[in-house]
Amino acid sequence: MTLEIRQDSTLPLGASFRDPSGFIFKLENRIYRQINHSYQNDYLHLIESGLYAKLVEEQLLIPHQEVLVKAPRPDLAYKIIEPDLLNFIAYPYEICFSQLKDSALATLKIQKLALDYGMSLKDSSAYNIQFHHGKPLLIDTLSFERYQDGKPWVAYRQFCQHFLAPLSLIAYQDSRLAILQANFIDGIPLDFASRLLPLRTRLTPSLMLHIHLHAASQKKYANTKPASNRSVNQTALRGLIDSLEASTNKLKWSPSGPGWAAYYEEEHSYTIAGLEHKQRLVKEYLSQINPQIVWDLGANTGMFSRIASDSGAFIVAFDFDPAAVELNYLDVRKHQELKILPLIQNLTNPSPAIGWQNQERLSLIERANADAILALALVHHLSISNNVTLDNLANFLQKLSSHLIIEFVPKSDPQVQRLLLVREDIFSDYTQEQFETAFNRNFIIHKSETIQDSQRRIYLMERR
Amino acid sequence: MFIKFLFIATQILSASPDKNTAYLDPGSGSFIFQLIIASLVGGAFIVKTYWKRITAYFQKFFSKNPKDGEE
Repeated sequence: MTLEIRQDSTLPLGASFRDPSGFIFKLENRIYRQINHSYQNDYLHLIESGLYAKLVEEQLLIPHQEVLVKAPRPDLAYKIIEPDLLNFIAYPYEICFSQLKDSALATLKIQKLALDYGMSLKDSSAYNIQFHHGKPLLIDTLSFERYQDGKPWVAYRQFCQHFLAPLSLIAYQDSRLAILQANFIDGIPLDFASRLLPLRTRLTPSLMLHIHLHAASQKKYANTKPASNRSVNQTALRGLIDSLEASTNKLKWSPSGPGWAAYYEEEHSYTIAGLEHKQRLVKEYLSQINPQIVWDLGANTGMFSRIASDSGAFIVAFDFDPAAVELNYLDVRKHQELKILPLIQNLTNPSPAIGWQNQERLSLIERANADAILALALVHHLSISNNVTLDNLANFLQKLSSHLIIEFVPKSDPQVQRLLLVREDIFSDYTQEQFETAFNRNFIIHKSETIQDSQRRIYLMERR
Repeated sequence: MFIKFLFIATQILSASPDKNTAYLDPGSGSFIFQLIIASLVGGAFIVKTYWKRITAYFQKFFSKNPKDGEE
């Protein structure tokens, strides 16, 4: 939660300014949530009904403590709570298909439990679900309201826009459509999703209902007041949740396409002894930094993230390829790896700050909180494929962390030669000497060693 | 259930000619849509729940074998 907010502030910042029930604030590097009087009865019901305890027990809701801290808006304040801290706040456009699907299913599970305890979710934003200890977790404690018999589910539209629309677009059209979520901060509009989805989805009853007919209904009944004598009874409401759950479960996506077979390309760049040597070096350098949080840039399917995770650190494993991130997440889920968070990130166009005043969702650089960066087999992809100069790269990396473990891949390396096959070699400065000169301006190079049976070299650096 | 589905589809798709809807609030449309589909999803849920109970009963019934009886 720390990362929603840029600096100490007793004003509601980040993404929580819209909610009249309360807001998040930061004080002396700790994160708190003010609960307003207007939410008092709902909060009491959440706690006293046992729903809070049940959800925390099921690891579906973030645990919190009630604390005595001066309220930023004492005129509105009912209570102040301090939620558990998260290692990283990720956004829907940074998570892979299965992470989004698991978030959707967690939301529906929470809603079913809420109904059992006489409450209902009043929003179902994908931003409210974060991955903590490898599992999706609701981080907005104020998302519940007491259930009123007969009232339709107020978060139905949001669920379809935030989850069903992007998931079905990935499953039926193209995984790259997930990036639309960065443009539509309140989820992909259903009429838009309906137009983008292939015709055959109209023959899929669940998508015909929740996307296509839902979108048509939004158009037909926009600004029409619902008849006061009609209601949605609890059986129908549970039926709706059940239908959404079945629809979500049916959506599948498997990584495929060009480049798919190349995931282990980097592994093939070393001999067995060379790969072991690289792993040993990374372990040794990490043990000297002893980081709490590591960002693994260009993590691929996470081989080195796992090595770093074994050292006890929490790893955010970024890769630009949704397929690699998907595979990494499936491994995390299968082996219950609690300290690895795989995420999609294109370093040549990192997540920007978006939303109201560019402050609702922070940019990647604004969320930089790693004690160390791993940048293995990455430099050549940025410098040769994307024309990022070595100076520029050093400048970017020093913004992210105080420590850096980086691998230089020289021009003579077969992988770099492959990148140069179809383009003119305009990279006269791409040498080990120039690399060290460029990074020396921003970093102190503590150690370096050439990987056995290879011309690649690993460095341990510290920001100047 | 299928007829109900078709009825809902016809009702919604027989929309008035396309107007400029860019500034309209989609929230009320979602609300009304739930009222329209309530009996469909509610009915399907009841059928599914009972069907599960029936299949669970028969599964239990047929899964009984002599070994179970000995225990």
